[in-house]
Amino acid sequence: MSEGRTTSGPVADHAVAADAISAARRLPHAPIAIVGAAAVLAFLPALGLPAFYDSLLYLILSWIVLATSWNIFSGYAGYFSFGHGAFFGTGLYTSATLMARFDWPFLWTLPAAAACACLLGVALGAVVFRVKGIRGEVFALLTLAVTFVLGTIVGNTPLDGGSGVSLASVPIPRIGPTPPATFYLLALAAATLALLLSWRIAVSRLGAGLFAIHDDEDAAEVMGVPTFRYKLAALAISCALAGLAGGIHALFLNYVTVGEVFTIAVPLTVVLMSVLGGTRHWAGPAVGAVIITLLLYSFTAADLAVAGKAAVGVILIAAILFMPDGILPRAQRVFPRGKRPPLARAAVASEAPRTPAPAATVARGDVLLRARGVAKSFRGVRALAGVDIDVRRGEILGLLGPNGSGKSTFINLVSGRLVPTAGSIVFEGRELTRCAAYRIARAGVARTYQIPRPFRHFSVLDNVALAAMFGGGGAAEPAAARRDAMTWLAFTGLQDKAHAQPDELNLHQRKFLELARVLAARPRLVMLDEVLCGLTASEMDDAVALVRRIRDQGATVIFVEHVLHAVMAVTDRVVVLDYGVLLAAGPAAEVMRRPEVITAYLGQPYLPGHPPDTELAERPGA
Amino acid sequence: MSGFALPSATLLAQSILSGIFTGALYGLLGLGLSLSWGLLRQINLAHFAFAFLAAYLCYQLAVLGVDPLLSLALIVPAFFALGAALHAAMARFSITPLNSLLLTFGLTGIVEAVIQAIWTADFRKLESAYGAHRFKIAGLFLPVPELITLLVAVVLSFGTWAVLHYTDFGKTLRASAEDAPIARAFGINQGRNAWLLAGTCSALAAVAGVCLALSFTLAPSQIYAWIGVVFAAVMLGGPGRALAPLAAGVVIGVSEAVTMAVTAPSWAPLVSFTLLIAILLLRPGRVA
Amino acid sequence: MDPHAMTRRTVLGAGLAAMATASGLGRGQAKQPIRIGSTLALTGPLSATAQIHRIVGEIYIEQVNRRGGWLGRPLEWVLRDDQSKPDLARTLYEQLVTADKVDLLMGPYATGAILSAMGVAQRYNKVLVHHTFGIPSLAKYEMAFPAWSLGSEPATTVPNTLFDALANGPKPPKTVAVVTSKFPSVQFMSAGAREVLKKRGLTEVLFLDWEFGNREFGPIANRVKDANPDFVWVGAIGLDGNLLLDAMKKIEYVPPQHFYLYPAPGPLVSLPEARNALSVTIFEEQPPFTGAPGAAEFIRIYHERASAAKLPDISVEVQAAASYTAWQILDAGVQATKSLDDKAIGTWLRANRVETLQGKLHFDGPGNYGDDLMKIKQVQNGKWVVVWPKEFTYGGAALQAG
Repeated sequence: MSEGRTTSGPVADHAVAADAISAARRLPHAPIAIVGAAAVLAFLPALGLPAFYDSLLYLILSWIVLATSWNIFSGYAGYFSFGHGAFFGTGLYTSATLMARFDWPFLWTLPAAAACACLLGVALGAVVFRVKGIRGEVFALLTLAVTFVLGTIVGNTPLDGGSGVSLASVPIPRIGPTPPATFYLLALAAATLALLLSWRIAVSRLGAGLFAIHDDEDAAEVMGVPTFRYKLAALAISCALAGLAGGIHALFLNYVTVGEVFTIAVPLTVVLMSVLGGTRHWAGPAVGAVIITLLLYSFTAADLAVAGKAAVGVILIAAILFMPDGILPRAQRVFPRGKRPPLARAAVASEAPRTPAPAATVARGDVLLRARGVAKSFRGVRALAGVDIDVRRGEILGLLGPNGSGKSTFINLVSGRLVPTAGSIVFEGRELTRCAAYRIARAGVARTYQIPRPFRHFSVLDNVALAAMFGGGGAAEPAAARRDAMTWLAFTGLQDKAHAQPDELNLHQRKFLELARVLAARPRLVMLDEVLCGLTASEMDDAVALVRRIRDQGATVIFVEHVLHAVMAVTDRVVVLDYGVLLAAGPAAEVMRRPEVITAYLGQPYLPGHPPDTELAERPGA
Repeated sequence: MSGFALPSATLLAQSILSGIFTGALYGLLGLGLSLSWGLLRQINLAHFAFAFLAAYLCYQLAVLGVDPLLSLALIVPAFFALGAALHAAMARFSITPLNSLLLTFGLTGIVEAVIQAIWTADFRKLESAYGAHRFKIAGLFLPVPELITLLVAVVLSFGTWAVLHYTDFGKTLRASAEDAPIARAFGINQGRNAWLLAGTCSALAAVAGVCLALSFTLAPSQIYAWIGVVFAAVMLGGPGRALAPLAAGVVIGVSEAVTMAVTAPSWAPLVSFTLLIAILLLRPGRVA
Repeated sequence: MDPHAMTRRTVLGAGLAAMATASGLGRGQAKQPIRIGSTLALTGPLSATAQIHRIVGEIYIEQVNRRGGWLGRPLEWVLRDDQSKPDLARTLYEQLVTADKVDLLMGPYATGAILSAMGVAQRYNKVLVHHTFGIPSLAKYEMAFPAWSLGSEPATTVPNTLFDALANGPKPPKTVAVVTSKFPSVQFMSAGAREVLKKRGLTEVLFLDWEFGNREFGPIANRVKDANPDFVWVGAIGLDGNLLLDAMKKIEYVPPQHFYLYPAPGPLVSLPEARNALSVTIFEEQPPFTGAPGAAEFIRIYHERASAAKLPDISVEVQAAASYTAWQILDAGVQATKSLDDKAIGTWLRANRVETLQGKLHFDGPGNYGDDLMKIKQVQNGKWVVVWPKEFTYGGAALQAG
């Protein structure tokens, strides 16, 4: 497999030119476009158009804020919330109460509205995200339930009490020439803020983490994404924006009632808008909001009213059938623009691929990882029954044993995916046992999965870039991480597939992607879970060579494997588990001859004097 | 506003009964929704619209003199065909669960417009012979339409559960839901299963609709009034299960009814949904 | 050429030309319609009642146009669907005023939308006549005029009328249960009823309220039955009354006397268990109401249109009457001031009385409300019959008690 050396000469020259161009284009388009459009739109009231355009546009902008804010959390991270009505309503009633009861000026109530909604969201998230298993529809139901609970409380207490809150006597500040213009400008500001935040998050580390959570939260956490904090942050921003929209809307409505707000209508509408526009794009929900609001508005002539409802239904159906990822992704396919490639291509061509320098020579022989008495039980099944394992710095340690012996469990425990029932795990002097998985990843531990788990919606390059961003490596920003990622892809020979989707890779390539990810995290301890499984003989040789080079980079490797010749060839020591118990430890050749080990594998008494087979069969039905 | 009122035993018992009956309807409505969500991976909002369409048809047939329960014989096959046909039409497009939400929302709008065009927005109440009768046992009243609903809900739920767990068809459905590519590799004819299942869910909606017509007043806008609580029942038990919607529906119904019996009825949603939240937080995996 | 002859011919010719032009201009101007803009909840949860208002509006416009229109110009109704959403109503009213530039406004259906419309009307100094506003204390715009004669203190006056009727009936109640929806325009009325009954020395044995949109009335019916009141005040709106009666029927309970505040027109009267149910009205299809000018004709046409629209109940009662009254008020304002000037119309209305289906209305009270003209009606033999005050009953009808 080539080491990825490119030639110099014309290709490199071209690459340098491309580099310069890409440097000039490095100014992000999106925020300029957003702010520019907002500036232009801000002059609309001055045009002297009939005032109703201000109100109609206000409605559109308000929905843009709601849909975009919903998407920041639910669309990006995949936690579909049906509770946006609760946050919108909280903002609405905070504003209304402060204005009606405490005579606050309207503009001052807006930050309060955003703050209250944000607090509610954070409180909710702090509880819900700690409970394992609250995903998918359970989360959706929970948020919906919160909406109804809140609505009932508001409706039964002096906050509203059922009579509604009238804001008729509250003065409207003169931000625009007319009151509708004022609301329009406020909503324009809010929408600009929402879109800017949405874009900024999408291209930032937070956004990368959220998208990773969307695809595979467990893998993301183990890779080093601080999932709890990120989800909370996204939820907080989402709720704050929704609260802001609510605050503005309170005065627009003039008279607020519980029944208008704390229903399933608001969350359902924002979901529809986001899905229609495209949930993975920062501008998708805005597109959906504009389209759906205009659609609903265009059928308000009396004679069209009932038929209009049907027409809207037909249009929505057609849209989703022919644009299943949303409108924006479809539009992007029709009008493709060079997105990230300029950066990445420049990186790979202009930098002659440096074989990554080996980390500072490490003192071989120190104990890197010390597991003592580690046990794990699952509701009566004892996967590990108290094992003591030492992993020495710089070694390749084979972790062997028949199926069900606890090897994967051990890896899950060390990487933090599971919490041990008993025992302690100390890594470089730090107690890992009850650490959050992302902290363990940051500390320098990485793993691969037996069945590769790439993040489906990320390109191959971005899969590796994620690891660079969040692993122990320290390349914090996406741009730098992608440059790093290209290097690692070259190292594993996948540079040609950088912009492919993981679905397009074959198994061998996916395994190498796993390895590239592990490398990008620059870990000090790498755990490879049956990386050779499913590969052909020559592919296995490549993989084994790669494993050696991983160690040469300065990492210590725990190598779980069944393929004996590979184990013999590459490991320094092996450890054998059987039924969750440590059976033997020592140099491979010596351990494999031990009678108890052979019995564990072959399941039959060993007759002394006969050499063991080179290819040991798996113990059937273990 | 009255605070806590200690209810008489009869009041409490009657309220619990009332909650069970309402919960049975939630469960019946939720059954088809749960199956299509869990087994077909489609979140079918139009389920409610179909139920109401069936309810209106039942009402219309009753106006023409057809007994509501007999009208099932006409309505159920018609809706089975409708559901299967719709599914066949959509099958050529790959639709994620979320997209199906959007799609069926559009469908709901269409059906609602059709209902309003034919029957106007006015409230319609089916007056049937069943509505006039009730049983009285130990001082408690059991109205016949509600009993019918409960019976139908129980029979259909358990029947579905039996089909899913004991018949080959049911097992292939569950297998396909768990891992579609592997199931296909094992020779399961998913295309045919899918439209059979879609037709069944539609038929279940129709049955729920007839029960709706027997007990409730109908209006096109009422379609949306049931979405929240039935979704709650489905999600609480977990989609794709046969007995869960009924159990969850009854839990919700009874908690609401008991609240109404002991304190101000306007607090009822608070209690039922707080209960929901508590259950979800304590046992997010499974409830029923 | 004879110069005088030419001058005469010129003058004649010019005169003819001038006349021709004048009549031509006049005809052109006379053809330009007067546009009246409004919204109604043609779709959404409120559409059941809004369709009545649409029919009435169309009838009125036709009648006016057959008479030659207003100020010699035909009327045109620019109607939009606010989908039962107040924020949409507000935007649509702004469209009507600023983009469509309608001449006059008519109110939308129901309190929420009317408040939105009122805000817009206030901003552009337009007169707003409305027909279904339920919370007089919130009507703060001086050019808004109510067609539904609730009076400015309905929470006190309406219950008093009701309890007067009951006190003069065969079985004056002593114990009362008040059960009500929390819908804004109903809730405050029920609260008023509780005050009034206490002042009159009656005993409240039960008070319950439920969320608007509640479907479950079993436990509520049970608690009413348990409380065993002489009289039940049901703060009902829309379906509530029916659902409660259904629930009571299921437990075989019939309240001795019962009252429903704003039931959905039609369905209640047809329920057998609604026998002797009381409600409020401003108009019914019976003398003396039918004696009001234009009433008989209106009732006739309304029956035709309502059947054509397949409405289950085609009788004219509160909603239709309030709607017709609203158009009559606007009509009177325009005719009296001979203009479309909102300020002039508003000033005139405040200072004068208008002859309508409900009688002579005046608008000089708080919120431009006049008197409380609500009367008490009862379901007798499957029909609504006015039973109080006595001067509005017909054929010796009187309040019956089971």
